[in-house]
Amino acid sequence: MSPDRPPRWWTRSVYGRALHDERRALVGWSIGIAATIILELALYPTVRNNDMSKLIDSYPDSVKQLFGLADFATGTGYVRAELFSFVLPLMVVLFGVLWGSDAIAGEEDRGTLDLVLANPITRRRVVVEKAAAVTTGLAVVCVAMAAALVVGDAAFSVGVPVARLAAASLMTFVLAVTFAFVGLALGAATGHRGAARGLGAALAVAAYLLSALAPLASWLGPWRRLSPWYHALGVDPLGTGIALDHLALLCLVVAFLVAAAATTFDRRDLAV
Amino acid sequence: MTVLEVDDVSKHYRTGAGIDDVSLAVAEGEVFGFLGPNGAGKSTTIRLIMDLIRPDAGRIRVLGRDVHREGRAARRHLGYLPGELALFEQLTGGQVIDHLAALRPANEGGARVPELAERLHLDLGRPIKELSRGNKQKVGLIQAFMGTPMLIILDEPTSGLDPLMQREVRSLMEEAAARGAAVFLSSHVLSEVSEVAHRVAIIRSGRLVATETVDGLRSRAIRRVEVRTADPIPPDVFASVPGTTLVSVSGTHASVDVTGPMDPIVKALAHHEVIDLVAGEPDLEDIFLGFYEGQRKGPDDVA
Repeated sequence: MSPDRPPRWWTRSVYGRALHDERRALVGWSIGIAATIILELALYPTVRNNDMSKLIDSYPDSVKQLFGLADFATGTGYVRAELFSFVLPLMVVLFGVLWGSDAIAGEEDRGTLDLVLANPITRRRVVVEKAAAVTTGLAVVCVAMAAALVVGDAAFSVGVPVARLAAASLMTFVLAVTFAFVGLALGAATGHRGAARGLGAALAVAAYLLSALAPLASWLGPWRRLSPWYHALGVDPLGTGIALDHLALLCLVVAFLVAAAATTFDRRDLAV
Repeated sequence: MTVLEVDDVSKHYRTGAGIDDVSLAVAEGEVFGFLGPNGAGKSTTIRLIMDLIRPDAGRIRVLGRDVHREGRAARRHLGYLPGELALFEQLTGGQVIDHLAALRPANEGGARVPELAERLHLDLGRPIKELSRGNKQKVGLIQAFMGTPMLIILDEPTSGLDPLMQREVRSLMEEAAARGAAVFLSSHVLSEVSEVAHRVAIIRSGRLVATETVDGLRSRAIRRVEVRTADPIPPDVFASVPGTTLVSVSGTHASVDVTGPMDPIVKALAHHEVIDLVAGEPDLEDIFLGFYEGQRKGPDDVA
């Protein structure tokens, strides 16, 4: 307590402090993602006007499928292939997994969780506030992403409707929250940040591969429904808008993950 | 009123460490010392009280509330200084304290902070990562004592502090007890506890080996008694006297170690003309080490 001024707003809750702790990371990831978007979109006029499309047409279908290379002739095809097939969601998901796995397990590892839990606050409450902070932070990054997409789209005449850019950004956000909470739940259940981070990232990549490769192998087809990546971006929100049933399913998964994190964390001993 | 009740609590780890059937109670206005060597189970007991870990058996209540099932209510009026203090490195001392005060709204935390910072000579504006170990400890102490906690749990509170600050911390404990709070003071240093605590529990290898008042403990300490008589003392004069160990006897002079009351030795000397009788100060350190090593078994021993 500083005698001469009131406490900062973010000191008043676990939620506020969690956001404050990550403020520099939030700015950094937002700038990095926005810069990536602007750079990709700035290249679009060049790509559209040369023979790149023909080159890509000559690639085997499997390669095109894996990397989402498709019709660069339209702005939507370009943005889908260059940004939403892999690069943007991977960046946001990675940020989410890193933060989510640190949210409980990282603070436990640093030993500061003891002081937090010595207060009249339940462990469930701490998990929920941390989850809310991660969600807010990912929303900030995804709003920066959507803003860069809208600005770049207009500046370089890419021609993707704003509503579709917003739809794809929203689904990327939900995807990132999903994997952030996978990391959160693993960290809350085990207390091991490194394991939560590694396993969370591996699950995210595996889910991506499952969604991306399923169209290539018919036996994989039914399994892609297990991949959050499929429900978020595999159903092409950029081309067709938001699919409410898939969005609802992901929201259920997110709610389940928070409940699992809170329950497992509530039951176990804290590490020394 | 009983502020802290620990009833038959056990916690076992696969490594063999842990605590066994620990029971203790701390009353309002009492400073309760919790003594034991490192690794005896002091921090395990405290982490159980804080509900950071869960017991295998037994129950713990703070102000009548179960620390697990009614954890929020139990921790409403509680101050806690962890033994392995870890603070939010990125924040300033003041921000750490603001944050913890906000999480403890019923405790009216902010009110005493400037006073405590002044008494402990701490600049709250500096980031934690720039503070020395002693100054970090002061931040931990301020957040434990701020407001009006009814139970203050301190795990090795003066580690890293200079003697002047140690004395200040002792006053803080005394003041807290004077206004009715219970202070649970864990330490491996006897002098830190004996000067301020009313009662002490001694823990060794996970078991309480004694719980008594500091005065009681003192009465059980070994005292060296020097006796000078007019006539030569027979070597077997103390042989049948309980609680004595003869150190040396030569002519009219005897030296004997006495545990407990002085009465038996006085009675044994009644038939002699005693010229001089000097009893040394009780050596608490000695009895304390005795409990540690398990060599001297007293009536309260359960081990």
